[in-house]
Amino acid sequence: MRLGMVIDLKRCMGCYGCQMSCKVEHGTPPGVLFARVLKREEGHYPTARQILLPVLCNHCSDAPCVDVCPTGASHYAEHGVVDIDPDLCVGCRSCMMACPYNNRYYHAEQQNYFGDEGPTRYEVARTARHQTEVVMKCNFCSDRRAEGKDPACVANCAAKARTFGDLDDPTSTVSQLIKDRSGFTLHPEAGTNPNVYYLAP
Amino acid sequence: MNRYDQLIADLRSDYRPQREWCEGRGIFMVIGHFVVGVAGGTWLFSLLHEIRMGLALAFVLAALGGLLHLVNLGRPARAWKMMLQFRRSWISRGFFGLSFFLAGAFLYLVPLFLPGILWSSDSAIASIGNVLAIVGMLTMIGYMGFVYTASKGIPFWNSPLHPALYVAYALRGGIAGLLLTLAATGQEFPSIANLLLQWTAITAVVVVLFGLEIHGALTGGNAAALQSVHEIFAGRVAVYFYGGTLLLGLAIPAWLVWNGLTGPLSVGAVALLALASAFGDFFMKFSTVKAGIYLPLVVPSRRHAAAS
Repeated sequence: MRLGMVIDLKRCMGCYGCQMSCKVEHGTPPGVLFARVLKREEGHYPTARQILLPVLCNHCSDAPCVDVCPTGASHYAEHGVVDIDPDLCVGCRSCMMACPYNNRYYHAEQQNYFGDEGPTRYEVARTARHQTEVVMKCNFCSDRRAEGKDPACVANCAAKARTFGDLDDPTSTVSQLIKDRSGFTLHPEAGTNPNVYYLAP
Repeated sequence: MNRYDQLIADLRSDYRPQREWCEGRGIFMVIGHFVVGVAGGTWLFSLLHEIRMGLALAFVLAALGGLLHLVNLGRPARAWKMMLQFRRSWISRGFFGLSFFLAGAFLYLVPLFLPGILWSSDSAIASIGNVLAIVGMLTMIGYMGFVYTASKGIPFWNSPLHPALYVAYALRGGIAGLLLTLAATGQEFPSIANLLLQWTAITAVVVVLFGLEIHGALTGGNAAALQSVHEIFAGRVAVYFYGGTLLLGLAIPAWLVWNGLTGPLSVGAVALLALASAFGDFFMKFSTVKAGIYLPLVVPSRRHAAAS
């Protein structure tokens, strides 16, 4: 079983629902964005258009971040999900340099969103549990998956642009979407074999 | 600008600069690599020319380099865990190399500086130390370039020439370390002209390798690599490159070497040559690291999708 995600760029409307649901689910500190949406305007009037690209860890099958990690903190977890063991991470940040998708974040210090006012009760409950001085990233919501749920970004996508499933199963929805609509990955030239696919807008 | 605002600004830019290995505590990573490279080269040349104080300087520099690496880590208390991935991680290999070097160099140096007290220079312990130190030295000289080459997120560092360039830096730093030792100890060295010629030859290799790396980035590199080259020659890193690398690391030492080859050099001039050359190498490494730009996430078009 190889877990993966398909993101339909035709459906994505750039609402940032994935980004926000991810932050709520993981309680990530300021400056840590496991899921984010890139927006860009392209072309000139009257053919200008807005391009949206939701990004997250690509959970590569040949992950360079796993290769460079000196302690094994970055590792392949169950079903091909790339995860970080914070107890093993030394904070050397080499995995951040190795990731061609810029989807790893260094949690340098405890922060809160309201500065001198101190952490909110939510931040105390959810954000303070994250270790500092280590690297963080998306793990396809391992806690939710353990409960049989889809990752938060998938469950909360208002446009149903995200589909999650088994890429090894040719009959799964993700495999069918990739096959029928010529799903592609980002930076295929990096040779990382990502497990996040996109469908063209 | 605080860290959070800086990150958000970086994420919004087309070309996000890497800051983790050159700003804040990350600067110790660059200094550590520089010091460890000089240590490896100094050990090599001191061993070849049998300069005892040069060996001691290499040992001290390597220990300092190790400490600087620890300072760079977020969780230095876990550093021993870096021995766990020897088979695939260059950082892990470097950690082993530095450990071997420090242990071996200690065993080798004790009888040189404390003769007849613990073990002798021709004992098995000293021989084992010598072998360990050489293995560690070779690893230290060689591993650093591969750490950068393995960083797929920074296209400018991906060049296959990068490891060779770092080896050349270490050798240049080794001659600088040896010259500094000779200047500091006032030791007679019959063939300083030979050392200056070796410095010239290795510097020429460094210049050629760096030129080829830049040429490769300009002709075959992607947009991020091109942006890195721009940062070095005309961007936010240019002042370090022109002032530190070219003026301090190349022009001043080259002028001193020319004087040394055509006439006698004072002790102060030899020391200045060594320090200028070494600091020039530091600025070269710093410029290259600071110029690192993350591979941008290209927004796919229909044509792009169809092609892949």
